[in-house]
Amino acid sequence: MITGFLLLFKPRLVRGMEINMKISEIWKLVWLNLSQNKSKVILTSTGILVGAATIMLVLAIGTGGKLEVAEQFKNLNAGAIDITYEYNGNEMSGGGMPGGRMGQSSGGGMPGGMGAGAGQGGSGMGGFPGMFGFSEQTNTENIILSQEDLNTLKEEVSGISDGTLSYTSNADVDGGDLEETATYTIAGVQSNYTQISNLEMALGEFLTEEDNTYKEKTCVLGWQTAKDIFGSAMEAYDETVYIDNRAYTVSGVLEEIGTVASGISPDDAIFIPYETGIKYLTGKNVSPTLTVIAEDVDQVNAVMEQIETVLAESYPEAVFTMSDAGSKMEAANQSNETLTLLLISMAVIVFFVGGIGIMNVLFVSVKERTNEIGILKAIGCSQKDILVEFLLEASCISLVGAILGVICAAGITPLIEYFSVRVELSVSGAVLSLAFGILTGTVFGFYPALKASRLVPVVALNHE
Amino acid sequence: MDKKKIIVMNGIHKGYRLGEDMVPVLKDIHFQVEEGEYVAILGPSGSGKTTLMNIIGCMDIADSGEYYLDGQPVHEMEEKGLNRMRNKEIGFIFQNYQLIPTYNILQNIMMPLIVRGMISKEAKEKCMETIKLLGIDHRLEHKPNELSGGQKQRASIARALVGEPALLLADEPTGALDSASGREVLKLFQKLHDMGHTIVMITHDMNVAKTAGRIVHIVDGQLYEGDSLPQ
Ligand SMILES: Nc1ncnc2c1ncn2[C@@H]1O[C@H](COP(=O)(O)OP(=O)(O)OP(=O)(O)O)[C@@H](O)[C@H]1O
Ligand SMILES: [Mg+2]
Repeated sequence: MITGFLLLFKPRLVRGMEINMKISEIWKLVWLNLSQNKSKVILTSTGILVGAATIMLVLAIGTGGKLEVAEQFKNLNAGAIDITYEYNGNEMSGGGMPGGRMGQSSGGGMPGGMGAGAGQGGSGMGGFPGMFGFSEQTNTENIILSQEDLNTLKEEVSGISDGTLSYTSNADVDGGDLEETATYTIAGVQSNYTQISNLEMALGEFLTEEDNTYKEKTCVLGWQTAKDIFGSAMEAYDETVYIDNRAYTVSGVLEEIGTVASGISPDDAIFIPYETGIKYLTGKNVSPTLTVIAEDVDQVNAVMEQIETVLAESYPEAVFTMSDAGSKMEAANQSNETLTLLLISMAVIVFFVGGIGIMNVLFVSVKERTNEIGILKAIGCSQKDILVEFLLEASCISLVGAILGVICAAGITPLIEYFSVRVELSVSGAVLSLAFGILTGTVFGFYPALKASRLVPVVALNHE
Repeated sequence: MDKKKIIVMNGIHKGYRLGEDMVPVLKDIHFQVEEGEYVAILGPSGSGKTTLMNIIGCMDIADSGEYYLDGQPVHEMEEKGLNRMRNKEIGFIFQNYQLIPTYNILQNIMMPLIVRGMISKEAKEKCMETIKLLGIDHRLEHKPNELSGGQKQRASIARALVGEPALLLADEPTGALDSASGREVLKLFQKLHDMGHTIVMITHDMNVAKTAGRIVHIVDGQLYEGDSLPQ
């Protein structure tokens, strides 16, 4: 920007009648003045320093937040729609109640579901887009969503590619290196659960269709669970764990997935066949989540409407809770963007304040150097050259501030990360911060520079 | 054969606004200086010396009248033309030296050349002869405040000379110096005069004025040549 600005003046050099300094010589004067006023340069640039550091961190935190959200939702299929039924009947019978109930409300209760940033998003959305019913007095009929319901949906609703049933419960677990029994989240799932939840096996095999049909006592461990109980995935494989005092063979271990936004945290759970769990753990009264996948992510809403209609045919009295992963992600991203916007406005304010600071200091400096300006004018220096010199000084001061700001931002990063905020520093962020810093200094430096260049020579020269 | 005229002033008027009124300071000045002349303008405090010098030096413009410097019509010029005149036609020497405190002596001396678009290396070469002539070649890296008054004034004279101006313009050049340094500066002026430089010096000191070849009195904004001063 500055060079472009200077090039504007270049062609005039040829016109002979005018006095023009070489830009290289102006730079030398700028350097001379700045190098002799180092402390002033540092003080002046503080405002820009803070501004640049803020912008850099804002961008880094914003990017970090976005990545965080993306990662937390990595086990969510964008086309996934969760359907649950909340039974409000007075008799709460059957085992596994607390766990089963938790399984229904997405994002609630699960240890992994409380991921920092997205947790807010998640909780706000629990029943948001898909919920069609608010009254607590409905759902007095005890409905248990079943394989049959899933089949009906698959047949009658167009645009569903897959679907699965699952529930969670809590149970006492023993075995391996555990010194005493511990409570774990047990997920009863079908064999296609891995595809639907984007999970990968680290080792061994996931639960099969046969395991489900024959209610086999096999299980798959989450990464962390395997580590807790056996020390590692390797050591866990083909071992036995005791869930509610029954022996289950470990058929495989899942890849580590990290914090997730909602649902079960796969790392901390134990997966068992759907039917096995109902038989030995939860009893018939479990309240499962029915998850279907829309073929086309853009058709999620249409699919949800169809589901509503189809379910209403089977259960005219019931109100189901539906939530789709897409809008969860969107909402989380949105809250993230709101935060970024907030931080950016903060940076703008800081820049403004910093700019005013620079302007004030430059005004003072123009006053201090009035005599110098007078001398330059007495020996024929043009308004334009004086303007350029002062403007370049302002830009350089801001450049120094901006560079220091970027360095500070990088220095502060570990401290912010210590408070478990994710910070993703980037070169583009640094470049942007520098650009903004220089721009601010130049813009705010313009007025004092203009004032300096317009001083009347005689007055300036005799200024004390 | 007439000598070339460096300064030609016809009917110059200059006043300062004081509220509603205009206070006249220079009244109908007619003044000529030929090439190679050494002129002293002598007058008491408040007589308008500095005002006249600012106009001669193209630092200020007259309210009316004509002023030709080295044949060029200064009274018709605007900012850019005046810049050029100050840079190329005039070498200023001030009572209080007016050296830029953050620049070293060499940088100060080179400035008129830098300002007109020369690069430092070129400018330095061009300055060296003048610097040797003034005997300050061993002080080039020093800042002005590390020099004595006499040295500072010699540096400021060097700065006035390097641009090869048509006119050297000095405002009380000895005013801030002790008598020895003052005499030295005046000797230098004599030498420059002998070398062919055109010099106009402003002073209120008769003894200083006497060193010049021609004395012009200024009293209450009017000029009187030599002995024509009314009593
Ligand atoms: N900027 C100004 N505004 C108003 N009046 C001024 C201004 N500059 C000078 N004057 C007046 O003009 C008159 C001449 O001033 P000038 O500075 O030319 O005198 P001088 O001969 O240089 O005096 P000195 O020897 O004290 O320097 C004085 O009466 C002064 O008050
Ligand atoms: Mg004066």
